[in-house]
Amino acid sequence: MCANCGYPAAPGHWTETGAVSPTDRMRARFRRAQVLKSVLPAFGLTVYDDGQIPGVQIGTLSGNITIAGDLDEVWCAAERMTGRPIDPLDPRLIGDGDG
Amino acid sequence: MAEARADGRMRLTLLGGFLGSGKTTWLRHQLHEGRFPDAHVIVNEAAATPVDDALLTRASAVDVLAGGCACCEAKADLVALLRRLCDLRSQTRSDNARLGRVVLETSGLADPGAILEVIRTDPVLVHHIVVGETIVCVDALHGLAQLIGEPLGRRQAEAADRLVVTKLDEADPAGIGRLVATLKAINPATAIDGAIRGTPVPAPSDGGEAAVELPAIEGGSVAPIFPARLTLDDQIDWTAFGVWLSALLHARGDDVMRVKGVVRTPAGRMLLQTVRKVVQSPEILPPQEEREDDTIVVIGRGYHEADLRKSLERFAGVKERGDLSLLRRAS
Repeated sequence: MCANCGYPAAPGHWTETGAVSPTDRMRARFRRAQVLKSVLPAFGLTVYDDGQIPGVQIGTLSGNITIAGDLDEVWCAAERMTGRPIDPLDPRLIGDGDG
Repeated sequence: MAEARADGRMRLTLLGGFLGSGKTTWLRHQLHEGRFPDAHVIVNEAAATPVDDALLTRASAVDVLAGGCACCEAKADLVALLRRLCDLRSQTRSDNARLGRVVLETSGLADPGAILEVIRTDPVLVHHIVVGETIVCVDALHGLAQLIGEPLGRRQAEAADRLVVTKLDEADPAGIGRLVATLKAINPATAIDGAIRGTPVPAPSDGGEAAVELPAIEGGSVAPIFPARLTLDDQIDWTAFGVWLSALLHARGDDVMRVKGVVRTPAGRMLLQTVRKVVQSPEILPPQEEREDDTIVVIGRGYHEADLRKSLERFAGVKERGDLSLLRRAS
């Protein structure tokens, strides 16, 4: 891992397995951040990935920020910051059953 | 290993065990080592999409029975398949070519005892098939919790002639000891083997630990585990799938007992398997022309299948935009 930018990410996390080239990994990283950005604000969290420092920054609206190195850390941080696990089946994401 | 019995019947070996207990891995290794020579392998999957047959390339023939457990919904299909094998066998003149052995890998939700009943009480099959051993895999890490909380887990352990405690490298000796002691208490007559990634290892001992007292479980108090098969219209974005799956396991890992997903990635068709919150090392499958769809099977309880689908679509449906948008702070 590069000491300056931390890229590529630590090998071995299962979400990296589908990537073959460094380009794949970079694209996957941005894609992950995109998906997180579309999901976490529903729970009052912000997501920021500048593509430079390793990991993604998860923040609360009051300015509390944590850097999460991989997806497991993202969910742990989000749970810590909101008090509950982020549930993909939460009505805030899938509607309340009327749609 | 004993040859087919002199009375001319076909020998059936039953391989059972809870979701994620390592049945396929164990079987794959046994086939590789030649333990079941010339066996016809039947794999029964609870959910309607076969995934495991891609992993069993060493078997001389593999049939996948999908769409229900052989002990209930797929019972008729199992009987039909076995009868067909018996027919083929009767028509084969040569002793050498005649099918001698069938290995039936049951689904993780199956009760081996019920399957044995199906076979033993069928008027045709009883003349052609003798049931040999019932082998049941038990996960070293999750097995004790399954014995405590799942009636199905208990029935599986009780039905075994031989128990294989798998993934011994993932549990601590004291935990393994308690599991072994409890298994011995449930099924005193059974042999207990050990395995790591399908490879036999010295049998685990109870290490002096005491068996855990198993609480009574009433039938209605535990919601049934059910399989859900999810496919999306378009190719599933593999990274979005990873985000969704990791969130699902983090939030609901105790209820999402097993996930098997095949999604296309730049590296090829990736098989992802989970057992509760643990994601096993993903595997890139060999290419198969006839299977192009991405498929995800989720087996668990406490949610609706329709909500699972909506949830996956919510994550995987995020439109891909240019990378520049990520250089601005999220609004």
